[in-house]
Amino acid sequence: MRENKSWVEKLANRLYAIPSVAQFWASRAAQRSAQFVDDGAIPFARLTKPLSAARGALITTAGVHLSSQPPFDMTNSDGDPTYREIPVDVALEEITITHKYYDHRDADVDLNIVFPLAHFRDLVSQGVIGSLATRHFGFMGHIEGDLVTTLTRRTAPEVAAKLRADGVDFAFLTPA
Amino acid sequence: MSISIARDLTDAVGVPRAVFVKWPLGHPLGEPCAPLQQRTMIFRALRLLLNAGQPGVIEDLGFRWRRERYSEPDWSQLKQE
Repeated sequence: MRENKSWVEKLANRLYAIPSVAQFWASRAAQRSAQFVDDGAIPFARLTKPLSAARGALITTAGVHLSSQPPFDMTNSDGDPTYREIPVDVALEEITITHKYYDHRDADVDLNIVFPLAHFRDLVSQGVIGSLATRHFGFMGHIEGDLVTTLTRRTAPEVAAKLRADGVDFAFLTPA
Repeated sequence: MSISIARDLTDAVGVPRAVFVKWPLGHPLGEPCAPLQQRTMIFRALRLLLNAGQPGVIEDLGFRWRRERYSEPDWSQLKQE
C-alpha cells in the first residue's frame, strides 16, 4: 500500500517483466551507468580458503527490509540510496519488500527468488559454506541523479566496511 | 559475485563475476516455490566464484524461462580448481 504505484508504474512493471524488454532497458541504462565507474578497473580477489571454511553475506537491491524498519522512500523519483541491515537469524516472516519499480508479487510469495537467506542457511548446515555473516544488506535498486553519488561515495562504502569488519569472505549479490 | 538479469548494465558497471540469465526483472533466482531452480542458480554462482580467473567474467547460463527442468546440484563439486 505504501508504494502507491501509479498506472504508469504498474504498466512499466508488466513491460519489464518481459525478458526482452528488460534487456532493452538494461542496454539504455548501461549507457547512463558507465559514467559512474571511475576508471574502468574492476575489483577482483580470489577466495583464499575453501568454501566450506568461508563466510558469506547476502546483498540485494530488491528493496528488502524488516517490517519493523523504515521502508525505502517511494516519494523521491530519484530513489533511495540508503540500506537496511537484515540479521542472519531473523524470522523470514519479518522481512518485507518496498520497491515500486519492479513487480515483486512473486517475491512476496517466495522471498528466495530475490533474497535466498533460507537456502544459504541450509548450505551452512550442510557444510557447503562455512558460515554466514551476522548481518546482510538490503538496498533499493532504483537510484538516479545526485543520489548515485550518495550511494557510491557514502552508503556502499559503509556497507563494504561493515562486511570487512564482519570477516566476510564473499558476497552474493542479487538485483531485482 | 552477482546474479545478473540485465547483461549490458552488469557489463557497464564492472562486476567482478556474474552469472547471467535472461529472465524477468524481479526473478534473479527464478520462479517462486521452485527450490531446485533457485539452488541451481546459487550453485552456478558459487562455482563461478571459485573458478573465475579474471575480473569482469559474465557467464551466460542459457537457462530458458519456464522451459527447463532442474535437479538438486552436486554440492561436492564446489571445490576450487
